[in-house]
Amino acid sequence: MSVYSKLLRLMVTVWDYLPYILEGVWWTLGLVAGGLALGFIIGLPLSIAQVYGHRILKAIVEVYAWFFRSVPLLVLLFLFYWGIFPALGYKLDPLTCSILVLGFRSGGYQSQIFRGAIQSIGEGQYIAARTLGMSKLQGIYHIILPQALRIAFPGWVNEYAIILKDSAICFVLGVMEILTRTRYVVMATLEPLLPYFIAGGLFIILTYGGTKLVNIVYEKTKIPGLIGRI
Amino acid sequence: MPDDIVLKVEDLHKSYGNITVLKGVSFEVRRGETKIICGPSGSGKSTLLRCLNLITRPDKGRIWLEGEEITNRNVNINKVRQKIGFVFQEFNLFNHLTALRNVSIGLEVVKRLKKEEARKIALEMLRKVGLEEHAYKYPAELSGGQKQRVAIARALAMNPAIIFYDEPTSALDPQLIGEVLEVMKALAREKVTSIVVTHEMGFAQSVGDEILFMYDGKIIERGPPLEVIQNPKCEQTKRFFQKIHELYARQER
Ligand SMILES: Nc1ncnc2c1ncn2[C@@H]1O[C@H](COP(=O)(O)OP(=O)(O)OP(=O)(O)O)[C@@H](O)[C@H]1O
Ligand SMILES: [Mg+2]
Repeated sequence: MSVYSKLLRLMVTVWDYLPYILEGVWWTLGLVAGGLALGFIIGLPLSIAQVYGHRILKAIVEVYAWFFRSVPLLVLLFLFYWGIFPALGYKLDPLTCSILVLGFRSGGYQSQIFRGAIQSIGEGQYIAARTLGMSKLQGIYHIILPQALRIAFPGWVNEYAIILKDSAICFVLGVMEILTRTRYVVMATLEPLLPYFIAGGLFIILTYGGTKLVNIVYEKTKIPGLIGRI
Repeated sequence: MPDDIVLKVEDLHKSYGNITVLKGVSFEVRRGETKIICGPSGSGKSTLLRCLNLITRPDKGRIWLEGEEITNRNVNINKVRQKIGFVFQEFNLFNHLTALRNVSIGLEVVKRLKKEEARKIALEMLRKVGLEEHAYKYPAELSGGQKQRVAIARALAMNPAIIFYDEPTSALDPQLIGEVLEVMKALAREKVTSIVVTHEMGFAQSVGDEILFMYDGKIIERGPPLEVIQNPKCEQTKRFFQKIHELYARQER
């Protein structure tokens, strides 16, 4: 059999499975969106607590961020799926558990992204807000956060790209995302080359497309002279 | 306490660790008065202003604002600070807001005025400092002198009982100092009560009602500006104004 006919047969078989792999894109995006959103909900308050909070609060946030940034994602997934959630009496499905773990972990990373952004603004504007009579929360909400979120944007886009790639590890719990489906196709066809290429290509498209999209929003929210210089 | 006393300070003390920065400061400011505070670097001028609006908590001593003791533990400090305008050396404008919004945000958030009403007052304040046509510029698009005038408008908009200026022209290029001093002089002539930490002796002489000279955490000499500047009694005061004179003489050459 010639190389060409072999390649042709390979493409035909994989073509049959392509929709099956493509369906994984939705699952992957679900993991990413869920993880990023939960990470934001956790990370932003943590960053505020770390900058403006009491000494004890700061220490707690530090330990949290340190834990989730130090333990490998694979270990976290196993720990929560087989260990912590069952011990607490929850039997979660793989998708929910994966989103929670990605979110907890991203919360640790995002807290550090936002903390850096908040600290880069400097104390002066916050003090100015307080001298106008704003409360702590008003000063943070009206003065600090609008700037911090813009400054954190590039770091946040980066976090999207990272969590997107990390989401593939959730295949170990059998979440039906891109990699899991690709592996099933490989097992069924015994052809590893093309399916894994496709999986890689999908991640490239998602990374590129996502960052492009977010950057458009970033440009739209630019303030003259403020973030143009960073 | 007589009605026309806006601010009264009694025996204020403040330490950071084992450095004592304020060692018993007492004075009063009457309505319409412009008090000048000067003194060498590190003598505690900024610390004093920050203690007066409770950004920093004094260790000891009492402060009354319009008859209310604000060093009392159960006063609402956010309410107190609304009544005290603060103009910083480094402007501290809100970088994400236009000049107009810098001035109106306190009215909206703190005084809870309607957006339109806040905007009207803010425009009026910007007109007062001569920046009406720059209302929609962001801080990064303004010169230092313009920024400081926006900061003054921001403080004025809250209709405070008193305004504190902490070296408002020290961060400015020499050619921009004049426009800020002009605005401050105009306000002083309108009898806006203020405490001004500054080394601008021309300003002090033309609109200052009294100079308080601080040295090592205490007010060691006080009196009418002309007298204190030209005829200081204390040795430290003499030396200080000597140095200022030399500095200015050098700049003028
Ligand atoms: N937050 C702080 N922590 C520790 N020390 C401080 C703090 N703030 C001020 N100090 C110290 O208090 C002293 C007085 O500082 P302050 O800023 O009040 O002086 P100043 O008279 O305003 O000086 P300058 O003319 O340089 O502005 C200085 O020795 C300073 O180092
Ligand atoms: Mg100072």
